[in-house]
Amino acid sequence: MKAVRSGEARKYLPELSVLVLLLAAPVALPHLGFSTDLLTRVLNWGLIGLGFDILFGLTGLLSFGQAAFFGVGGFVTAYLLVSGTLSSVWLALAAGTVAAGLFGLVVGWLAVRRIGIYFTMITLAFGQMAYFIENSPLSNYTGGENGIPGVPVPTLGFGEHAIRISAGLPMYALFAVIFFAGYVLARRIVHSPVGAILRAIKENTGRVAMLGHNVAAYKLTAFVIAALYAGLAGGLLGSFQSYMPPDAFSLETSGQLVVQTIVGGAGTLIGPLIGAAVWMWLRDNLQLIPAFATLWKLVLGIAFIVLVIGLRRGICGEIAHWWTERRDTAALRAAEAATLAIEASGDAVTITLASHARDIVLPLPAPKRSESRGESEIALEARSLARHYGGLKAVDGVSFKVRCGTIHAVIGPNGAGKSTLFKMLLDEVSPTSGDVLLFGTRITGSGVSQAAQLGIAKSNQLNQLFPNLSVRENLRIAALGRRRGPMRIDLLRSADSLPDAEQQVDSVLALLDLIERAETPAHILAYGEKRRLEIGMALATSPNVLLLDEPLAGMSPSERAATCALIRDIARACTIVIVEHDLNAIFGLAEQITVLYEGRLLADGPPDEIRRNRQVQDAYLGGLHAHEPA
Amino acid sequence: MLTLEDCTRMSLLEVDRINTLYGDSHVLFDVSIRVEEGEVVALLGRNGAGKTTTLRSIMGVLAPQSGQIRLDGKPIAGLPPSAIANLGVQLVPEERAIFGGLTVEENLRIAALTAPNAWSFERIYAMFPRLKERRRSLGRTLSGGEQQMLAIARALIRDARIILLDEPFEGLAPLIVRDLVTVARNLAAEGRTMIVVEQNVTAALSFAHRVYGLNNGHVVFEGTSADLDANPDLARDFLGIAA
Amino acid sequence: MPSWPALISQAFNGLALGSLLALVSSGLTIILGTLGVLNFAHGALFAVGAYAAFVMLQYTHSFVLTVVVGCGFMLALGVLLERTIIRLFYNRPHEDQILVTYGIGIVLVECVRAIFGGNAQRVPTPSWGQGATQLGFLIYPTYRLQLIAIVAMLLLSLYLVLYRTSMGLVVRAGIENPGMVGILGINLRRTFLLVFAIGVVAVGLAGMLYAPVVAVTPDMGANFMAQSFVVIVLGGLGSFPGAVIGGLIAGEIISLTSAFNSSYSEVMLYALMALLLVLRPQGLFGSEGRV
Repeated sequence: MKAVRSGEARKYLPELSVLVLLLAAPVALPHLGFSTDLLTRVLNWGLIGLGFDILFGLTGLLSFGQAAFFGVGGFVTAYLLVSGTLSSVWLALAAGTVAAGLFGLVVGWLAVRRIGIYFTMITLAFGQMAYFIENSPLSNYTGGENGIPGVPVPTLGFGEHAIRISAGLPMYALFAVIFFAGYVLARRIVHSPVGAILRAIKENTGRVAMLGHNVAAYKLTAFVIAALYAGLAGGLLGSFQSYMPPDAFSLETSGQLVVQTIVGGAGTLIGPLIGAAVWMWLRDNLQLIPAFATLWKLVLGIAFIVLVIGLRRGICGEIAHWWTERRDTAALRAAEAATLAIEASGDAVTITLASHARDIVLPLPAPKRSESRGESEIALEARSLARHYGGLKAVDGVSFKVRCGTIHAVIGPNGAGKSTLFKMLLDEVSPTSGDVLLFGTRITGSGVSQAAQLGIAKSNQLNQLFPNLSVRENLRIAALGRRRGPMRIDLLRSADSLPDAEQQVDSVLALLDLIERAETPAHILAYGEKRRLEIGMALATSPNVLLLDEPLAGMSPSERAATCALIRDIARACTIVIVEHDLNAIFGLAEQITVLYEGRLLADGPPDEIRRNRQVQDAYLGGLHAHEPA
Repeated sequence: MLTLEDCTRMSLLEVDRINTLYGDSHVLFDVSIRVEEGEVVALLGRNGAGKTTTLRSIMGVLAPQSGQIRLDGKPIAGLPPSAIANLGVQLVPEERAIFGGLTVEENLRIAALTAPNAWSFERIYAMFPRLKERRRSLGRTLSGGEQQMLAIARALIRDARIILLDEPFEGLAPLIVRDLVTVARNLAAEGRTMIVVEQNVTAALSFAHRVYGLNNGHVVFEGTSADLDANPDLARDFLGIAA
Repeated sequence: MPSWPALISQAFNGLALGSLLALVSSGLTIILGTLGVLNFAHGALFAVGAYAAFVMLQYTHSFVLTVVVGCGFMLALGVLLERTIIRLFYNRPHEDQILVTYGIGIVLVECVRAIFGGNAQRVPTPSWGQGATQLGFLIYPTYRLQLIAIVAMLLLSLYLVLYRTSMGLVVRAGIENPGMVGILGINLRRTFLLVFAIGVVAVGLAGMLYAPVVAVTPDMGANFMAQSFVVIVLGGLGSFPGAVIGGLIAGEIISLTSAFNSSYSEVMLYALMALLLVLRPQGLFGSEGRV
C-alpha cells in the first residue's frame, strides 16, 4: 500500500526535477562558466535530443542523419521569415517543424525497412544528401555556404503591445518553456501504448510483429517524432542567433548529437541535454586554458570511447540506475531468490498450477466466416502448401484442415518440414505455392502481423520474450495487439489505460499462475515460468487459432503434465494446432493428428488410427522393422 | 569381466556428466558417453532428445555448463571449436555448412589448412570420384548428396581422429544414402573413430558398434548394436511411438 | 549540353575518383564482411593517410618511399586499434561497434588537428607525375592518369590476396559462415586482425595517393566516408567486387553529373542510392549475408 502511494508521488518526480533544474540553471550555473547564451544553446541541443532519444534510446534505431531534419526545420523557418512569406515567427516555426516531419516521413519510409548497420548508413547518407541539396541546388533560397542572416526573434502579443523576446534571459526562458513542454510530451509518448511498443521493438522486433503490431509503421512514427523535434530545434536556432548557419546540416551535427546522447545517457530523455552541457562547457572552458585550447574535443573523444567500452549508461543513466537500484534492489533480489526456489523445487509450484480449475475467456469473437457452405466448422485450412529452398523441398504439397475447437497435432521425424509448415501457417514464411485459409479468409501473403490481427497466434519453440520488460508489460504488448489494431498513434494516453486489455492481462496472469511475478522482469523468471509466459503472450492476443511450437520442450515430467492440463483448458476457448516431440503427450492431447515425412503428408487421422499406422511407425523408427524377423 | 588394463586405459573420448543449455533451455542432463579408439558409436533418440547438442558440446560450439569432456584424458570442455578441431575432433554438421561461394576444391583446401597430416586431394577424389568431377564448381551449385560427400570429405582431409556425423543421410535420396552408407562402412572397417547421430536407425546400425539412447536430454540406454538388433522393443522405448 | 572533350575529361575524373572510392570502400567492405564491424573511423583513417604522406614527404623527399613508410605506419595503426579496442567489440551489438569506431574517428581527427592545426596543407605532386599528358583527343593531368593505374594495380593485388591466397580463402569463407571456419580448426581472430589491418592500409593508401590532388585537412575524410557508405550499399555489404564496381559507378555519377550541372553531382549519388534501396535493397552484388 505504501509503495502505491509513494509511487503516485514519484510519478511526476522526473518532470518536477527537470522544472527545478531549468529554474535553477540560470541562477546557479553562470558561476561555473555557463553563460545564459550557452545554457540556451544547451537547451536547443536537448530539444533535438528528446526526439533522438525516442528514436535511439527507446526504439534502438541509431540514426546518423538527424542534422538533415535540424537543418530543414531551421532553413524553412528562416527562409519563410526572411523572405517575408510569413511574418509570425511562431507560424514559421510551426511550418519548419512540419517540413522537417514530412522530410522525416520520406527518409524514414526508406530507412526503417532496413535494420542495424543498413539503417545507420542510410540515415547518414540522406543526411549528406540534405547537406548538398542545401549547399548548391537550393542556394538561391538558403544562401548556400553563407546561410540565412537576419532571422527575427519571436514576439509575444500583437501590434503595439508586442514584446520582442530579446537575447539573454528572455530567450533562455522561451527555450526553457519549450524544452519543458517537449519533455513532458516526450514522457507521455514514452509511457503511451506507442512508447511501450517501441520499447518492445528494441527488445525483440520479430515478436512485436507476431503479436499483430505493424513494426515498420511504429518505427516510422518514432522516426517522424525525432524529425519533428529536430525541426523545431532547428527553427529556434535561427531565431536565437538571428542567423541560420549551413553547418546545421553537417555530419558533424549528427555526430555531436550522438556523442552527447551517449555521454548524457541514452534512454533517459534528459540525457542528451546533460551531454550537451558537458560538450558545450568543455568547448568553452577548456579553450581558455592555453594548453587545452585545441584539445577539448580530443579529451571528449577519449572519454566517449571509454564510456562506450565500459558500461554505456552515460551520466543520467548512471544516476537513474543508482536511484532505481536503491529502490528496487530488495524487490529484485526477492524475485531472483524466488526463481532459485522455483528452479530448485519446480514441481511443487507447477503441481499447484495444475490443480485449480480454470475458465478461459477470450473476449474477442471469431471473425465472420467469408464462406459458409457447410465447411463452417473449419478454423484453419492448408491447401497444397509447398516451400522449396533451392532444390530442397522442405514442404511439398501438404493439405489438411483443422476443425474449430479441436486440438490438432502435427508430428513427424526431424526434417519432416514441421517448423517450415508452422511458419507458413501464420505467414512468417511465405509458401512457394499453396494457400492458408483462416475461417475461409486467405491469409497467405498478408504478412505475420496481419495474420495475427486476423486471429492466429503462435508460441515459439525458443522463447521470444521481451527480457527487460516485466511479465505484465510482456503480456500487455500482446493484449494491445488485436485490441488496438496494427497501427494507432495514441501518443497521449497511458499504456495501461485500456481497461479491457488490462483485464485480459490480469486473466492471463491468473491463468498462468504468474500473478506474484507480474512485476518481475522476464529475464529473471525460472525456465518453466518463461515457457508459460511464452504461451501466455500468444494467448493474450485473444487468438481464434493458437499455434504451439514444442510447448513442452525442456520441461520436467511434472511441468509437462501441468502444461498439458493448461493446453486442454485453453482448448475450450480456442482452436489449437500443436507441434511436439513428446508423442505420449500428443496422443493424450490431440483429437486429430497430421503426420509429415520428408516434406509430404504421410497420414492424417485420429490418434488411434495414427498409432496403429505401420507407415508412421516405420518413419519414426527409421526402418528398424527391417531387422525384425518378419 | 574387467581387467586391470581396462580400468586404467583411457578412452579416446570421454564425455563426463555434461549439462548444456541452449538459449535458456536446459537440453543435456548429466550426459556421459565414452568412445574408444577405432569404435563407431551411434547416438539415437527422438527429435529434441539432445543428440545434436551432444555433438555440438563435444566440438565446443556450445560450452557445457558443467561436467567435463576429455580427449586422450585431457580436458577440452570450454576450448573454442578451432582449438578442439586442431586436437583431431571434427564435426560434420547437420546443415553441412558448405561454403557456397567457394569451389569444391577450395572447400577442401580450407579444411586442410590447419591439419598437420592432411590427406592429398587425390586420396579424397579416389574416395569420392564425383567430387573430382565437380572440383571447380561452386559449393552452392552442388546437389544435397554432393554437399554431404564434400562435408564428410572435409573432415577426412583433416585426417580427424574422431569424426562427429550429424544426420549424414537426412533429406537424401535412397540411392545416395546407400552410397554414403558404403563410405561410412568402409571408414568403420578401416578403424576410423566416429560418432553418428541418425534418424535412419537401420543405416546407422549397419556400421555402428555401440549405441547410446537419449531421451529428453538423458542417456537412457547403452548397449551394442547387436543388443538393439536382437530386441527392437528396446529401441521403441526411447525412440518410437508408444505402441 | 557540355562538349564532348569536357564530357570525356569528366569521365576520366570519374575514373580517378571512382578508383579511389573503390579502394576506400573495399577496405570498408572486407572489414564489415569479415569482422561484422562497420568502421566509422574509416574517414578519419583516410585523413591520417594523407597527413602521413604530408609528413613523410618532408623527410624522404621521395613519394615512393613515403608511400612505403606510410603503409607501414598505417599497418601498425591498424594492428594497434584492433588489439586494443576493436577486438573488445566483436560480440557487442552493431550500435556499440558503430559508436566506438566513431569515437576512434573523433580522436584520430583531433590528434591530427592538435599536431598540424586546422588549416589546409599542400602535398606536392610527385616529380614523375607533374604536368599533363597529351592523349590525342584531350590533355589530362599526368598524375591523375598514374593514379588510375596505381589504384588499378592495388585493387588487382587486393583481388589476388583475397582470391589466390590461403588468407583470402579464410576471409571469403569467414564472410559466409564464421562458425564453420572455426569448426575447421581456423582461429578467425587472427584473420580478423589481418583483415582490419589490410582495410586500414587500403584506406590509408587512398589518402596518401589522393593527397596531392586535394587540400589536406583534418576533416577531409568525412565526406569520403559517407560516399563509401553509398558505394557499399550499392555494391552489397561485404562484397569486394561490389565495392570496386560500386566505387566506379559512384565516381562516374559524381563526375558526369557535374559536367551538366555541378550543383547536383553529389545529390545524384544519394538519389541513386535511394532508388536502389527501393528497387533492389540487397545491392547490386549483395546476398543476404551476415549483416
